[in-house]
Amino acid sequence: MIRLENVTKSYSAEVVALRDAGFDIAKGEFVFLVGPSGSGKSTLLRMLNRQDRPERGAVWVAGRNIVDMPPSRVPHLRRNIGNIFQDYKLLLEKTVFENVAFAQEVIGRPKHVIKQQVPAVLELVGLAGKEDRLPHQLSGGEQQRVSVARAFVNRPLILLADEPTGNLDPATGEGIMRLLDRINKTGTTVVMATHDQRIVNTMRKRVIQLDRGVIVRDQARGVYE
Amino acid sequence: MLSRIRYTFRETFDSFRRNATLTLAAIITAAISLLGVGLTLLSQKGFDNLLSKWEGGVEMIIFVNAGATGDQLGVIETALGNADQFVDTFGYCDSQCSLDEAEVVLAGEPGTLELLTADNIPTQFKVVPTEGTDVELLRQLEGAFSELPNVFNVQFAEDQISLIGQLQDFFGFRLLLLSVFLLLAAVLLIWNTIRTAIFARRREIEVMKLVGATDWFIRIPFMLEGLLHGIIGGVLASGGLWAWNSQWTSGVAEFPDGSGFAALVVTDGYEKQVMLIMLVIGAAAGAIGSGIAASRFLDV
Repeated sequence: MIRLENVTKSYSAEVVALRDAGFDIAKGEFVFLVGPSGSGKSTLLRMLNRQDRPERGAVWVAGRNIVDMPPSRVPHLRRNIGNIFQDYKLLLEKTVFENVAFAQEVIGRPKHVIKQQVPAVLELVGLAGKEDRLPHQLSGGEQQRVSVARAFVNRPLILLADEPTGNLDPATGEGIMRLLDRINKTGTTVVMATHDQRIVNTMRKRVIQLDRGVIVRDQARGVYE
Repeated sequence: MLSRIRYTFRETFDSFRRNATLTLAAIITAAISLLGVGLTLLSQKGFDNLLSKWEGGVEMIIFVNAGATGDQLGVIETALGNADQFVDTFGYCDSQCSLDEAEVVLAGEPGTLELLTADNIPTQFKVVPTEGTDVELLRQLEGAFSELPNVFNVQFAEDQISLIGQLQDFFGFRLLLLSVFLLLAAVLLIWNTIRTAIFARRREIEVMKLVGATDWFIRIPFMLEGLLHGIIGGVLASGGLWAWNSQWTSGVAEFPDGSGFAALVVTDGYEKQVMLIMLVIGAAAGAIGSGIAASRFLDV
């Protein structure tokens, strides 16, 4: 599903975000990207949805090298990738329903499909009955669930999560991880950047560790270390 | 498709609401600049009307009484033909041609216009002098022509006419220059309004891009917003122009007959053409301003 080949990305001569990074992620895998701040986790995630491009190397997503993908094709690539962020990136003046529906609306899904799919995904993330609330009326965990619902509503092949539990207390974070695990079990590939040791050690999924832009460990059923 | 159209209009009007002050400023600036363009075109038309009987280099007009016979007209033609040292070309404007001209020149004096018919309006010989012949030289011929049978009057392009021509050029150019500057200001203001709207919605745009919205899908509501700024500005300017023209027309009707202002009234539907031009220019200014902003600032 995802393949990186000798990917190098630097922001300046001194700041090298990724150096000759390479790995394969199979369809339906759950992978943790770990490492200290500035190790290149977020840069790597940005490469996978073409927010950023490497100077060298190839990034294959669903069988296509997306490095040289024409800009007009990028939106179609992104429709197959869900994104979850530490700060949720919810639209504050829109309700829970509207936030999730927005992801379908902007890619032209018809209204009757939106009306059918949004409540279903809100049910899945445990937010049924809170459709009309605004983000500020929700707890942090609930806001992150809205973010997960928005990322998953279009049934993407891949879900990219950048520190999704970073702003949450441990119990709430666990709830989000259970949710991501459930989504993973539907066949969606999940790549999650984190430095939450407890979660990584509990989940025992594949771990790719980065240090100053270099992959220093790639371990199946790994722990944080 | 329908949901996209609904989305586009909803986003456009939401943006109007959120950005009300800047939107209003952009629309007012567009309206004022377009009104400037409209008034320039209208005043030019007024001057053109005023000078219409002197079009084509005509420097002398011989007015002939209505009812002059063909022989009498022939005598005048012969006299003009014999003066080929001073007269380059001349043309005859019959009663219908004179009536058409009167409708333009006397547009602001409907009372006088009503009294004119094909049977009583003087016809005209319009004379273009040879190069090097000035009005003063032509004047020397006045006596010879005014004594011909049935000649009613001989008029020359007075210095006033040249003055009006100069005024037309002077005001036309400056008004147009001012309008162009104001139009540029309107484009920049629309550009800035759209840029601000994009900045205010950068979070939304980021999410849209991440979930796979195309650039055009994101751009179109902003471009439509700018287009509407221009069109609304054009509509307001058209209203302003209509009010101005109505006031001017009724004002000139109050002036004494023969004051010379009658020709400055535009009543032949030209003002509607100007309104259409203002709408088109407004739409273009809006589309250009918002198009540039939407293309330039979408990388938020």
